[in-house]
Amino acid sequence: MHLTNEQEELLENGRFGERKAMEILCALGDIFGADRLVPISSAHVSGVSYKTIGDAGIEFLTDMSQGTRVKARTTANPIAMDRQRWKEMGIPEGFAQKQMEIVALYEKMGVEESWTCTPYLAGNRPSRGDIIAWAESSAVAFVNSVIGARTNREGGPSALASALTGLTPRYGLHVDDNRKATVIVDVSSPLKGKDFASLGCIVGEFAKDGIPYFRGLSASEDELKSLGAALASTGSIPLFHIEDVTPEHSNAVTDRLERIDVDRKDLDEKADELSSDEEPDLVAIGCPHLSMKELEELASIRETKRKGTEIWLCTSRHVYGQAKDLLNRLESVGKVLCDTCMVVCPIEERSGVVATDSGKAAFYLPKFCSQKVVFDDVESIMRRFL
Amino acid sequence: MKLSGRRISKGRAEGVGLVSTSPVSFLGDVDPESGLITDPKSDIFGESIQGRVLAFPFGRGSTVGSYVMYSAMRNQRAPLAIVNERAEAVVATGAVISGIPMIDGIDIGLLRTGDKMVVDADSSSVELPDVRLRRAVTSLLLNQGRVLLLKRSDEVGTQRGKWAGVSGYLEDDEDSVDRSRQEILEETGIGNPLLKEKGEPILARGNDTIWEVHPFLYEVDTREITIDWEHVEYRWIRPEEISSYDRVTRLKRVLDSIMRSQRTPRSD
Repeated sequence: MHLTNEQEELLENGRFGERKAMEILCALGDIFGADRLVPISSAHVSGVSYKTIGDAGIEFLTDMSQGTRVKARTTANPIAMDRQRWKEMGIPEGFAQKQMEIVALYEKMGVEESWTCTPYLAGNRPSRGDIIAWAESSAVAFVNSVIGARTNREGGPSALASALTGLTPRYGLHVDDNRKATVIVDVSSPLKGKDFASLGCIVGEFAKDGIPYFRGLSASEDELKSLGAALASTGSIPLFHIEDVTPEHSNAVTDRLERIDVDRKDLDEKADELSSDEEPDLVAIGCPHLSMKELEELASIRETKRKGTEIWLCTSRHVYGQAKDLLNRLESVGKVLCDTCMVVCPIEERSGVVATDSGKAAFYLPKFCSQKVVFDDVESIMRRFL
Repeated sequence: MKLSGRRISKGRAEGVGLVSTSPVSFLGDVDPESGLITDPKSDIFGESIQGRVLAFPFGRGSTVGSYVMYSAMRNQRAPLAIVNERAEAVVATGAVISGIPMIDGIDIGLLRTGDKMVVDADSSSVELPDVRLRRAVTSLLLNQGRVLLLKRSDEVGTQRGKWAGVSGYLEDDEDSVDRSRQEILEETGIGNPLLKEKGEPILARGNDTIWEVHPFLYEVDTREITIDWEHVEYRWIRPEEISSYDRVTRLKRVLDSIMRSQRTPRSD
């Protein structure tokens, strides 16, 4: 990969964090055959929850943050707790302190106080064609597909390396030819509610790291958020197209492609497979984080007498700030938690069976958090627990 | 013996190899507290990566794996160096942030657990000081779509009783084509074979040896041959029949490498 004199200088003589950042970008650029580094307009980092990165992560961030600051606007993923309501979540004091150390290290580097998997709903919303470096698989799927900005599926350290240098290696999804569809998915049933998550789980498994092109699908932005998150969980899907819906659909199919059908039976079978018969001890909605519109829908639920089971509504601090007028109403439905979610908080300390409408959560909670899952539509879940 | 690869993470280290033939996920397969491989499905299950040169085909799994490697490094449980066939982002990033020398582009099949290895990322090489390189030629003779196999006698030094092509050692200063013609003359009595294909050398591991086998395909105008003491029997087979013969190691690879360009072989 070609480096400019200035980039060489950073690699050889930058501060520790800058040198490491350049080494990461050069290694990745060489592996993936990038020709050069290109400037980014935004970064989004993962590797923020103390539960995930542990003390090693703190040590890494401490080393990286010495005298370095981000060179592009940078947001960060959810942390392991609500920064204000962590006691209510049953988070131990020592754990909270460690988590706040991580928060402070990112803030010291100039990362925005975002703590969300939906940076695109929290002010960091790129435009079509923007070159960016984002981690968080669900946000990558959304921003590539729904907005048409360009990022590879970065990991925590590589997104941070891009943030600290303002650069990313040009390969993969930064190149036009690599954004074409690899498989056509014909959806023969109208979808609603959890169907988008089920569809994402089916196609993610099938298409692996390919780029699906959906036909017969119409969807709201929130439904696309849910679809993309599921696609990026059971598969490593970085980008999807939907005929007549997403911005790059018209140039997406250039070759004869393999085609699969998904019908009502497939969707219902997948939903059954994701769901267990156990009795939930927690309801958790908001994976990815709830949008303003989704909060409004939840606030409009009439019957709000809880039947004992705790309900979490997870969103970003940014959207929470916009929803001030709804908060009384929302708090009667469930606990509105910011900065965190059911997947990155230490949920296994308090719960064993979680009810959720998220395909991503239904996939990861059993795998990494030893939870059983009841997977259903928000409406049905709320009817059951309110 | 020195193998060339590609630098992923800078530095140099020497130590004893721990070689897995299956992909490794640092999240889930490796315990950063103890340095032990905890995946029961791994062929190096229960082994410690600490202080070893860890070689495996490629990484898999979550990006959190990079931090697990960093954690192992902070706990002084990290490998001395990493060797991959094909590097991917998680392991590469982990190696860079942890300051672990790493190269890729190395055929893991050439490495053995227990080998002494010197990984020098800055010269993009892995040296195996206790493993020597030996060169050899292997020729397949083709006549009207059939390929000659020879059964090795009990008097040869290695792989007795196995079916083979026409083979011989290649000395350092020798031309491989000359040597292959010489062997064909000695082992079959054919003096004027037509060279059809010269394959890329194939590397393969023996015990304390890595073989560099130079494959050749020759066309001959007769199936009448005279074998010498090295063989006891010969057959002209269809190329696709090779799988059913008890054959010397690497013969199939030799055949595949030189027959690929011959399209569908005719059979009579």
